[in-house]
Amino acid sequence: MKTPPDENQLVRYLDDEMDLAEKNTFEASLAADAELRAEIESMSRLGAVLRSAMPDGRDVPHPDFFNSQIQVRLAEEKQAHVREFHAPAQVGGWLGWMRTPWFAAAATAVIAVVAFGFWQDRHSAPTGLSVVLSTYAPNPSVHAHSFHSGEAQATVLMLDGLASVPPDRQIVGQQVHHSDMDRQVATTPLFSDEGRVLLVRAVDGRNQPRLLEHTR
Amino acid sequence: MPHSLTAARLFFITLMACGGGGVLNGQPAATSFEASPIIRKPATDGKVWGGLIFASPKGKGTGVAKGDLPAGLRDLPVRLGKVFQFAHFELLGQHTQDVFREYESWVVPSKDLFLKVDSKGKAGGGGINLHLQFWQEQQVLVKTDAVLREGSPLFISGPKWRDGQLIFVLMLTMPED
Amino acid sequence: MNPDMPSPTAPADGEVPDLDLVKRCQAGDTRAFDVLVAKYRSRVYNMTYHLIQNETEAWDLAQEAFIKAWRGIGGFKLDSGFYTWLYRITHNVCYDWLRKKKFESDGEFDDSRTEHRVAAGAEAVPQMAPRPDQAMRNAELKIRIDAAIAQLSPDHRQAILLKEVEGLRYHEIAEVMQCSLGTVMSRLFYARKKLQEILKDTYENAA
Repeated sequence: MKTPPDENQLVRYLDDEMDLAEKNTFEASLAADAELRAEIESMSRLGAVLRSAMPDGRDVPHPDFFNSQIQVRLAEEKQAHVREFHAPAQVGGWLGWMRTPWFAAAATAVIAVVAFGFWQDRHSAPTGLSVVLSTYAPNPSVHAHSFHSGEAQATVLMLDGLASVPPDRQIVGQQVHHSDMDRQVATTPLFSDEGRVLLVRAVDGRNQPRLLEHTR
Repeated sequence: MPHSLTAARLFFITLMACGGGGVLNGQPAATSFEASPIIRKPATDGKVWGGLIFASPKGKGTGVAKGDLPAGLRDLPVRLGKVFQFAHFELLGQHTQDVFREYESWVVPSKDLFLKVDSKGKAGGGGINLHLQFWQEQQVLVKTDAVLREGSPLFISGPKWRDGQLIFVLMLTMPED
Repeated sequence: MNPDMPSPTAPADGEVPDLDLVKRCQAGDTRAFDVLVAKYRSRVYNMTYHLIQNETEAWDLAQEAFIKAWRGIGGFKLDSGFYTWLYRITHNVCYDWLRKKKFESDGEFDDSRTEHRVAAGAEAVPQMAPRPDQAMRNAELKIRIDAAIAQLSPDHRQAILLKEVEGLRYHEIAEVMQCSLGTVMSRLFYARKKLQEILKDTYENAA
């Protein structure tokens, strides 16, 4: 039981990965080894507890949004392919490929995709107004919904169920004029209109944003 | 312990990224910012203005000087009052930001509440398709796909605070031609 | 041993078999892919959640896994299991993310991951438990198990999850994790030893 082959045999027996002959041989040695028997029993109990406590699936928060986001991205990828199809690099040979047998089918697909995109856009985003297309709040107790207010001439995204900010907490605003964009570094300084650094945006080990005040 | 280490490292990275080289060279940090090499600006899809507003039941006037607000939003307190039942709207912070085409952009009128903005390209009928994430410190409050159009602000209701509420306003101020 | 575990790809009555859906996807049918997403999203999310231990990132990575699956579905061989293939993609997406995070954080781990994980685990306590005291014991047990699994390395965590929760055979685990059968056995053995060490009192008392 102290060498790797024994460890392998132990897990293979536990996980029912042995053939019959191997299993018989192992069970014979098991009968003669109380320590090994105790180990098998302990690991079996552990496995039973793990299986009873760990779900084989985990409900995805906002499952419909999960699916619809994937469909949106697939549609975007299709449209990107369509754009590639019309890329200037292909212009030189366009008369040639128009004569190819698959052109008619491809053109039909292009028209269908473009028409679908146009239809979607017309139906989901009326001209002139900002529109909220979809929302997802990771915290299940937060409910997000949107509407357009004609009186305010604004689109409103309401978040119900947010926890209040403690009253003794100071909320400090900044007057940010612009930020630098440097692809080489993971931090972004935010400047005032006088060019002074107000904040620096960085990311932590979990890729979560951290905003650090710049002190001199 | 890991928290403090992370913060220390972040601060170091920050110093290096924001002029730490200047400190190491014996120059003041502020000078090294101004002297940082000019980086070619990445392509953008427009410019947005983000403001953090504190709405409360009482206060003098609207709390917002018209000069503080971008053109097209000078009547912001009145418009906010049509949606949120408060008398006083104070502009706590604001940030005008390019929306980068291929990189994430951040609109940070406060380090307490801010937005991550990802452009998904031009929208049909004008404006930009955006993926927005509304953050409160280390937490995403909401993720949303939205079309932002010039002159049509997006009001996002934030958490309650003291006797009022925090509101984030996002507006497309300059779409890219 | 997990004899009660249904095969992930076995269609229920009236359900379209995976391979039929895959063929339709290969012909460009996004609605067929939507059916596969609905079928496997909770399992894929379960895997990303266990590996990443952050709900928001796990959600995004599960999305990424499905998008990559769609991009690669043209090359999927119909004689292999769709679920194993999808899990392999999920594994790669998560490990790319973990590698990136490790590079950025220089291998440090943040306590808040574990804290977050335990809190989220507590939310998933079964609500239909027969008695309140039993429900409380189950909840405590689940929190302890979640916390113990969080202490394993990602490799050991995934091996245990694929075996004990998903019920995959060794050759399937090896395919998903892109390692040898010997490595699978070794990971399972040491993961179990570690869990035994952490949880022994808990499960001996629970039995």
